[in-house]
Amino acid sequence: MPIPWVEKYRPKSFSEIVNQEEAKQILASWICTRFKAPQEFCARWAKRRDKEIKEARAVLLWGPPGIGKTTLVHALAKEIGYELVELNASDVRTGERIRQVVGRGLREASLFGYAGKIVLFDEVDGLHVKEDLGGLEAILNLIETAKVPIVLTANNPFDPKLRPLRDISLVVGLKRLSEDEVVEVLKRICASEGAKCEEEALRSLAKSSYGDLRAAINDLQLYLAGRKVLTVDDIKRAGERNPQLSMFEILDRVYKARWFDEARAVSFNPSFDWEQYFVWALETIPIVYKDLEVMSEAFDRLSKADMFIGIVKRTQEWELLSYAMELALGGVSQVKNKPRLPPFIRYGFPQRLLLLAKSKEARRRREMVVEYLARNLHVSKALVNAEIFYVLSALAKKDEHVVERLARALGISPIDIKNLL
Amino acid sequence: MSELFWFEKYRPRSFEEVVDLEEVKARLREFVKAGNLPHLLFYGPPGTGKTTMALVLARELYGEYWRENTLELNASDERGIGVIRERVKEFARTAPVGKAPFKLVILDEADNMTSDAQQALRRIMEIYAQNTRFILLANYVSRIIDPIISRCAVFRFSPMPRHLMAERLREIARSEGVELKDDAIDLIYEISEGDMRKAINLLQVAAAVSKVVDANAVASAAAAVRPSDVLELFNLAMGGDLAKARDKLRELMYIKGVAGVDLIRVFQRELIRMQLDDDVKAEVAELLSEVDYRLTQGADEEIQLMYFLTKLGSIGKKIRVAPKKR
Repeated sequence: MPIPWVEKYRPKSFSEIVNQEEAKQILASWICTRFKAPQEFCARWAKRRDKEIKEARAVLLWGPPGIGKTTLVHALAKEIGYELVELNASDVRTGERIRQVVGRGLREASLFGYAGKIVLFDEVDGLHVKEDLGGLEAILNLIETAKVPIVLTANNPFDPKLRPLRDISLVVGLKRLSEDEVVEVLKRICASEGAKCEEEALRSLAKSSYGDLRAAINDLQLYLAGRKVLTVDDIKRAGERNPQLSMFEILDRVYKARWFDEARAVSFNPSFDWEQYFVWALETIPIVYKDLEVMSEAFDRLSKADMFIGIVKRTQEWELLSYAMELALGGVSQVKNKPRLPPFIRYGFPQRLLLLAKSKEARRRREMVVEYLARNLHVSKALVNAEIFYVLSALAKKDEHVVERLARALGISPIDIKNLL
Repeated sequence: MSELFWFEKYRPRSFEEVVDLEEVKARLREFVKAGNLPHLLFYGPPGTGKTTMALVLARELYGEYWRENTLELNASDERGIGVIRERVKEFARTAPVGKAPFKLVILDEADNMTSDAQQALRRIMEIYAQNTRFILLANYVSRIIDPIISRCAVFRFSPMPRHLMAERLREIARSEGVELKDDAIDLIYEISEGDMRKAINLLQVAAAVSKVVDANAVASAAAAVRPSDVLELFNLAMGGDLAKARDKLRELMYIKGVAGVDLIRVFQRELIRMQLDDDVKAEVAELLSEVDYRLTQGADEEIQLMYFLTKLGSIGKKIRVAPKKR
């Protein structure tokens, strides 16, 4: 199972992190003055004595994507032997959810011998004021009351909605990585993977990553999927790096991938959005695979991937996401008896997106009718769904009044009821 | 609205109106006379009068105030025992209205609860025993845990005898101005298998088809109340027309608002009656159980149902290639 190189080569300690000396020192000084930390670590890194560092209740790390904000916190936790409790933008960060996850995390005694806990709120600028209702308040509340270190990260800390967080946190900016620094990291990875990479090729990757080390590493993995050599020509042939792939191109790469790895690697592309991909795969599998058995195998894999998505969403065990990706990409791509695919496939636009709005309304209305019938007829909703609904529908065909009376009783239009039957 | 469905319109409102279940009535009358009641457990097949009897009891106990004093819950509709506890707690907070010193909680489908939930239910029954009595309704007494059974007076409900059902159907037909033929009654009895609710539903749909209800009208009524749209989906997939099947699926899910898991449950109920070889039936049954599980685990119902339909299509393909083994 190929782990993303971003994970594989993520620095594990402070000393492995390049080019963020100031941020490392501030963070270490803050931890060492306000919380328990190993002496050795403090002696080496905690060099700052500023008043605002000592008094800060939380730290807000900011900087462009892919320069190591999250990595820095992970490494910090490791250095001081703390357990990391993490929430990122993909979670539904309503106040309730935050209290659930973090609250629990903080109460439970550590099972694995950690010295303490550190809370990381990743990408706080991703908080939606409306959807993550109460999320901001919950974070603020936690900062005010918790006795553990809390670190926040953001791409843009000057977002007005983050003002309250900014006010009570120590704001620390991370430096953008230089081209040379990115190249150095890529070189190390090539060596460790036993790949021969031309320096010029790596420089070109670094240049177009604009200091986003994560994107550069993802690209490198994409280029080296299933091969051990990288030349400038490879990169020229692929065009400008960081291809902002359209969904059509992503689908093409998945379905036409020659190997499992090649299909899997599509997820490393920065423009890959897995939630969208699932919707498009659902729509396009029958278009690409005409044979019933092939089609059903592809859906079997997508269905299993969706089960992992469901489990991840419920349990927040994000490590399982990689199974979902492998099944949904490699699994859908590499089916038994795969047909030869034509050079141009007309992928249809997902009907689903158009139907989704309708669905919500229809389901709500049906639920209303079912609940009403169950209550008034003294039967279960299951029985209404399985039996009474069909009786109603048969009666309605013969007698217009049936629908009208039901519509009146529920205060919705007769047409809406007819559509349900 | 309750007038719309005959089974509700003609649901007995008093002990007198219940035409069978003499022993059950006799014992319940004693309780009403004494003005006290133990917890009760009614069990028996669907449509044998458990809910009716519980509601009759409520009316006999409280007269016009029966609604205020009765809480109807359905174990399979409530989300977990915690919700049931909250609702009982809220209900038990206020004193009963009228002469009886307690309120009634009617809990339907109690046998669908896990044994853990039933243990919790037992605790709830004890905590609120001061001013509530529970009537538990179940299809199978064997699925109720012993500690609950031992705390309840247990009553068995059996299907209505043929001649009483015939009498009841004739009464209803008479008061609705419908002519009911004897062969129709025979067929209704046969199809409904003693389930009174099903029987009256059939009569009503048949009467909507024609004012003279004979065996033919009943047969077309029976066809009309089958879930034809869901079965059409099944046949489209089985026949290999996945494009049409997908359109049908989306119509059911997104226009009619049917939940994916309900679709699977309908297939499961209808499977026995389908015209399929037994080995195919077994294969479909296995697939249904698998999809039901995946639906509970997964995040996207349409993905799971497309897996179901395409898999069904490839099962169908095998049959089409090698039509009959026998």
